Parts: sequence; structure tokens; C-alpha cells
Amino acid sequence: MRWRRLIEFTRHSERDIARDVDDELHFHLRAREDDLVARGWGRDEARRQAERDFGDVDDARRYATNLDQQTVAIGKRRDHMHALRQDLIYAIRRLWQAPAFTAAALATLALGIGATTGIFSVVNGVLLRPLPYPEATQLYRVWSVNATGGNLQASVSAMDLDDWRAQRSQIADLGGFWHQPGSSGLDLTGSGEPQHLASVFVTPGFFSTMGVQPVLGRLPREDELVRGGNDRFLVLSHTFWQRHFGGRADAVGSTLRVRGEAFTVLGVLPRSFDYPTAAADVFASFSIFTDDQVPRLRFVRVLGVVARARPGVSESAVSAELQRITSRVAAQYPENAAWDQATVMPLKRSITGDVSAALWVLFGAVGLLLLIACVNVASLQLARATARRGEVAVRVALGATRGRLLQQLLTESVVLSLCGGVLGSIVALGVVKGVMTLASGQLPQGSVIAVDLAVLGFSALLSLGAGLLFGLTPAWRASTQVQPALRAARGTSDSLRTRLRHGLVVAEVALAMMLVIGGGLMLRSFRSLTQVDVGFSPAQLLVFNYTLSDDRGNNSYLEIYSRILERVRALPGVVSAGATSDAPFGGSGEQVAFTPPGYVVAQGQEMPTSTLLQVSDGYFATIKATLRSGREFAPTDRGDAPAVVVVNTAFERRWFPGESATGKRLMLGGRVSAEIVGVVNDIRQTEVATEARETVYLHVHQNGRVRMNLMVRTEGPPLAIAPAVKVALREIDPNLPIRDIYTMDSAVRSALSQPRLLAVLLAAFGVAGLALGAIGLYGVLAYLVQQRRRELGVRLALGAPRHHVLRMIVGQGMRLTATGVVLGAVGALALGRLLSAVLFGVAPDDPLTYAGVAALMLGVAWMASLLPARRAASTDVVATLRND
Amino acid sequence: MTLLQGTLDVLVLRALAWEPMHSYAVARWIHARTAGTIDIEDAPLYKALHRLEHAGAVSATWGVSENNRRARYYRLTPSGRALLKRHESAWRRYAAAVFAVLDPA
Repeated sequence: MRWRRLIEFTRHSERDIARDVDDELHFHLRAREDDLVARGWGRDEARRQAERDFGDVDDARRYATNLDQQTVAIGKRRDHMHALRQDLIYAIRRLWQAPAFTAAALATLALGIGATTGIFSVVNGVLLRPLPYPEATQLYRVWSVNATGGNLQASVSAMDLDDWRAQRSQIADLGGFWHQPGSSGLDLTGSGEPQHLASVFVTPGFFSTMGVQPVLGRLPREDELVRGGNDRFLVLSHTFWQRHFGGRADAVGSTLRVRGEAFTVLGVLPRSFDYPTAAADVFASFSIFTDDQVPRLRFVRVLGVVARARPGVSESAVSAELQRITSRVAAQYPENAAWDQATVMPLKRSITGDVSAALWVLFGAVGLLLLIACVNVASLQLARATARRGEVAVRVALGATRGRLLQQLLTESVVLSLCGGVLGSIVALGVVKGVMTLASGQLPQGSVIAVDLAVLGFSALLSLGAGLLFGLTPAWRASTQVQPALRAARGTSDSLRTRLRHGLVVAEVALAMMLVIGGGLMLRSFRSLTQVDVGFSPAQLLVFNYTLSDDRGNNSYLEIYSRILERVRALPGVVSAGATSDAPFGGSGEQVAFTPPGYVVAQGQEMPTSTLLQVSDGYFATIKATLRSGREFAPTDRGDAPAVVVVNTAFERRWFPGESATGKRLMLGGRVSAEIVGVVNDIRQTEVATEARETVYLHVHQNGRVRMNLMVRTEGPPLAIAPAVKVALREIDPNLPIRDIYTMDSAVRSALSQPRLLAVLLAAFGVAGLALGAIGLYGVLAYLVQQRRRELGVRLALGAPRHHVLRMIVGQGMRLTATGVVLGAVGALALGRLLSAVLFGVAPDDPLTYAGVAALMLGVAWMASLLPARRAASTDVVATLRND
Repeated sequence: MTLLQGTLDVLVLRALAWEPMHSYAVARWIHARTAGTIDIEDAPLYKALHRLEHAGAVSATWGVSENNRRARYYRLTPSGRALLKRHESAWRRYAAAVFAVLDPA
């Protein structure tokens, strides 16, 4: 022990040092003066001579004072370092000597810190990191609004966008894009295997708004993005450039054959550019669409719009400006009368909106888990602190101050938590990997999820914070309880300490309760999601997604459409086949304006709209949807036959309440009168959790689409039949670019991946929290039994039945748990509102979940109490009493 | 006689190698050893002591002087002892070289 060193370097203030220097100088002068007097000098003369002999006294004083201050400072620093090193060595030795405690604490911390860090890296990558575009905070997403029609986020008309651009002042630029996952695309022919290129069609202003610079070549000029301009060009995504051109520079300037025309490659975008989708192969001009395809009319709203504010211009200013222009336009054009507003949202939020609630829930849950871990380690520390009371007392007797003692005990906690942090980082890597696997592409684009410096910094801070959190209370108590410790030679129970320990257990149980309720609710929510009747049978259903070649002006593609169906239906192993423009969970269909019989469109109002899907005959039978009434399409419903439609039950309920829609007529698009020949049950189209919208089905032969999702119901495993179908398709059209082949089962699975991820993770955190809580409870009770073994021994010796002792200990555990369960339930109720955003089919205060989790907690607590209780009941009375 | 650069430190270290002493005792010791040939002013000596303390060559503690006054006693530290050894051998070589020049054999 080096305590002496510490005492030697007492506090040296600057005043002390100056006084010491003065004293020493004074002594020196006095000594010489005495010498001179001894040699017979007069006192006064001797003093003057001594000062003359000395030289410049003031200079010497300044010099020495200055130097001494530095010397003392260095000494202090050296001492601090020395003490720290001592503390570190001591802490490591102590931890090494208690392997069970150290292992338990490290595992707990690694779990807590690791899970928190892992989820933080996801939150950081998805929500906190800025988008990878220059001055990304100035970017906004803009929608048209029809408040009376209840449409607050509608796509934008190209003509409205032109007006916004022309009249902007606070907004640096705006641009539009059209992209539909799975359906907007260009077919590339003439260079090897025909391919379908996932395409984004952009208007003037899109690239400049995003602020993107090409890595190769150039971006289109304004005049190349308008009709009549030189708009037959492509800008390549980095991935497509690598895939198709092998990253060669001569890609720029080459031509690609799409839609039967030659398009020039202008440039290549950077790898980081992923708006509006990371899956884009090429960017083309929106102007290449003819009026046949996308009419240039105010009410044709298909564009997504991004805007960039000028530097220093706020969101509200952007919103106000668009509002002004929009109402001006609405007043000018009668067809826009109802569309007099615009919705503005920061681009980042528009991208992450879907997952942010889920991620914050996860982050909150993992925070609870970390708290439980800290409480657990704190209670472990507390138990140990009692064991080292004797040691602490000896140190104080040797002169250690409370601050010094606190520092030493905290060093141990911090060492422990930093080691936990290192292990936690490894756990975090696993968590991130797990999340990425489970999320399977459901996280928004722009997400770069990695355990990077920011995340590691967070982890280090977390570890330090956790170390202080779980170390401070036990350390403080240990250092203040020195006096009683000295007096109490043997560990009699100390009520304050016991209360603290009980408080920790209650807190732990309460936190675990909240976590497990969260997990339970998510599991129930997920279960109700999987039990949703999607309206068709996904099992043994195979989907082929492709686009038929589109020769303008004749309907030959419909011939191929029919031939494909005939051919596939004849294949062995195929039960039936049908086709649709958008498969369930593969696209949301189109919109159609219509009027039911007798419906009068009010002045200034628009026709009601409905979802529109084009399907083949046999489609409903193939996906096993149920016809409520009437019939499904027949091969006889050709283009030259009278127009017929099928509607879903949602449509029937809305427009023909209380009666059958079959046999009624609809006016479609204000032009075509069609008879409703059948009503099919609701088929969920966009998401499992979203109810089917009112939908009108048209026979593809009466409203042709080149986009074809061939649905094949198979006898055996669906994918086994895929090669045969592919061969059949190629035989009919060797140039058919097949985009995707998948089973409907997998589509449903991936539609459920986000809720599954949330349920799995929350359940895992719940189980971890439960385990930690049980360990904590066990630890405290075991310690209690250890402490009270003398008392228990006496009780048993006096004839108390063993099951009394058993009941006493278990009862104590159950009382603590019950308190925690009640507090946890209250906490969970308070936090329940946060969960409601991600729950489906279960209320955030679902009594069944609460009751079940409470029973689970009590059951686990009962088991955790039983072990120490049995040890207590089997106390060897004689041995215990003799040992003391 | 004026001192050559660096000589003072060697003399002080040598004095303290004899025994721990206070600043005036160091001055007296050197004066006595050199029979008054080298007479050092107190101020530079005093500064040298504090400089050596700062460098870690000597350490200081307060004690009581022969006539019962509170005095600051300096003592050589192990690193001071090593420093003295280095200085000493350098000085001997230096002196030998100077003599070799002055007394050409």
C-alpha cells in the first residue's frame, strides 16, 4: 500500500508555496547573518552584508515561487495517475477474484449495451443520419390536396407542377418524378437477353432539386426534358452501369434500344443516389409519354414532387408559397377548384415516416432492457459492497478520504462497464445483422446501417453512463457507511441497505413487466395480422411478372395474353391460371372515376373514384377468391362484347347498401356504361393490415394492359413448375422480359416482415428482460437467506416447521414481485399510447395480455424465489449456529 | 573566480551527496571545500536548488536546523545521484583534457 505517498502530498495552494519560499529565503539570510554576528559583526551591519552577499532576493523569490508551483502541479498529476493506475490494477484484481460475479455482471451488461447499441445503429442509420444529398434538410416532398375529397397527399399534375415552377420565389427549385415499383419500367431489347429496366421518369428540375452530380457524363439540360426536345436519353444508376456496362466509361454516348427506339446514355449517377428508389436502373424524361399514355390534363395527377428551399427559407415559408400559387391556380381553372392546397413535408420524414414509429418503439424497449441490466448489476454490486464493508473500514482507518474511496469503488464499476461495452459491441454487430436479415429490404432507402464511429461513441458513452449509474449508489453507500461498518463486526441486517435492495428488485420487476407487456402486445398483434383473411389463398400460388411487348396501334399483345393463359393452363401440374395487372401486395392498381346509377355530380365536385384492376377470366377462381353473387369474367367478355365489370364487397356496401350490386350498371370515366356481372369478396391489395379499398375489376380484353401478372395455381410445390412455365412463355414470345417469379406465400411473408421484425425483437427483449429480472430477484433472495441464516437456524432449532420458512422466503419474493408488477402495469399503460401506432387488432391496454404477463412474471418470480427458499429451509441448524 | 557554465549544479549535487542539508549549509560546504576559492552568490545557488528540485534530482522536506529554526532540507533522489555520476565523469574527462593541454608531457 502506498497510502504514505498520498498523505505526503498535502494540498499545496499558491499561497502555501509563496509562504514556503519566503520562509526559506528568510532562514537563509538569517543563517548568514548569524554567522557574521558570530564572527564579531554588529547585528544591523551583519543583516545588510547578508543581503548584499545573497544577490537579487526578489528575482530569486520570483524564480523559486514560479518553479515550485510547477513542481507541485507535476507532483499532483503524477499522483493522480499513480492513484488511477493503482485503482485500475486493484479493480481488475478484485474482479478477477470474483469470477462468478464478474461473469454475471459482464453478461448482463454486454446484453444490455449490445442490444441498445445495435438498435441505436439502426435508428442512427435510418432516422438520424442525414439523407445523402447536399443540404438535405432543405429538401421537401410536396403533394396536391383536395381537402373536400379527403385527399391530403395526392400525386401532382404535371401542369400544376409547371405553374409551381414558374411562380416560385422562396423555393430554389421543384421537380417531379413518376415511378411505380414493379410497374413503371422500360423494356430493353437488342442487346442480349431482353430486360425490363426499373425506370424513374423525371421532369425538369428534378436533378437540380436533388442537387445530384453525375460521376460520369452529364445530366439532361432543361430543354432535353420537355416534349419536342431531344428527350430520347437515359441517365444510368450506378448499379445498372456496373451491371450492364461493367463500369466502362464509354457507356456515356452509347445508345440503348428501349420501346423500339434508340436512347442515348447521357451520364451515370453516383452510387449514393437512391431517390425515389434504390432499385432504379435508369432515369428517363417524363416527356417521352405521349398524350395517349399520360394526357397532359390538370386532373391527371401522377407525379411525385420534391422541392428545395432557398438557404434560410423555412418549411412554413415553403408551404405558404405553394399555398399561394395553388389557390391562384385553383381559382383560374375550374377543374382544379377543389385542389386548392398543398401538403409539404421534409423529405427525410416522408421517407422514414413508415418505420420511425416502429424504430422508436424498439429503441424505447431496448432502453428499458439496458435499465434492467443496470439495476441488476447495481444490486449485484450492492450485495458485494456488504461483503467488503470490513475492507472499506480498514481503508478509512488508514486515512483514505471518502472521495478517494468513492473513486476506487467507481473505478471498478467503470472498468466493468467498459469491458461490458466492448463485449456489447460484438453483441451489437449480431443484433444489426439480425435486424437486417429480418427486415429484408423493408427499411427505407438512404439507410446506411453500420456499427460506425458514431455508434461506437454512443456505445462508449452508454457504457460509461451505465457504469456510473449502477456503480454510484452502491459506492456511495459503501463509502458513507463506514462508521457502522467498523462497529458491526458481523453482518447484522441494515434496514436502509435492505430497503434499497428491495427497491432495486421492485424497479427491475416493473421494468421487465413493461418490456414483456410490449413484447406480448406485439406478438398478439402479429398473430392477428397472420390471421387476417386476405381474401384469397396464397398457398400453392406462383406469380410471373412481366410486360408484353407493346406494339402501338394494334391489339396483338392481347392475342399473346390469351395464348399464354391457354398454354400455361394446359401444362401438367397446373390446376388453373389467371392474370391481373397488379398482383396482391405487388401493386395498388389504378384509379377510375365513375358514377353509380342516379348519382349526380354536384357543382364544383368531382366524380367518385375507385381502385381499378384489369384481370383475366379465371383470375378469381385461380386465387380462390369467393364470388358473393353473379359470375366472374368469361372468355366471351371480349372487347367487342358489352362492357362488364366485377366489383368487390366494399364497393357494393358503399354504393349499393343493403342490396345486390349484380345486375346494376356503372358509368365509368363518364363515358362507358358497364354492367356489374358479379361481386367478389374483398381482396387485400396493398398491405395485410389495410382493408381492401372499393375496387372495380375490368376484363383485360375490354381494358387492355401490357403489364401482366400471371398467377398459376399448382398441384405440387409452386416453384417446381416454374421452369416449365418459363419455357412455355419463351416459346410464345422469345423477347418476353420476365421481371420476377415468386410464390404468393413469400409475398405475404415479406408484406409481414416489418411487424414480424418488431414482434420478434420486442419478444426477444421481453424474454431477456424477464431473465434478467428473474436473476436479479434470485440474487437478492439468495443474499437475504445468506444474511438471515442465523435467524432462520434459530427458528428451525426452536421447532418452526420447514415449510414455514419456505413460505416466508417465497412470500417475500412474491411481495416484491407483486409491487413491481403493479408499478410495471401502470408504467405500461402510460407508455401504451406510443405502441398503438404499431399495433394491429389488439388494444394497447389489452387486459388479456396484462393478465397473462402478470401471471408469467409471478410464476417466474415464484420459481426464482423457490431455490433460495429451499436452501433456507434445509439449513443445517447445528452447523450454522456453530459456525457463527 | 567565476564559475564555468553548469559547474554550480555539480557542486550542489556533490554537496547533497555528502548528506541532506539546507541551502545555507550547501553554500558553507562549498565555500569550505574550495577553501574560499569558489565563492558562490546565494541567489544563483538558491535558484539551482529549486531548479534541481523541479527536475526531480533533489527532493525537499521541512526540518529543524542546528539552531532550532525551521529549515528546508534537500536530499538527493536516485535520479539526482545518477545525474551527479554523469556530471562527475564528464567533468573529470574535461579537466583531464584541459590538463593535457596545460602540461604537455
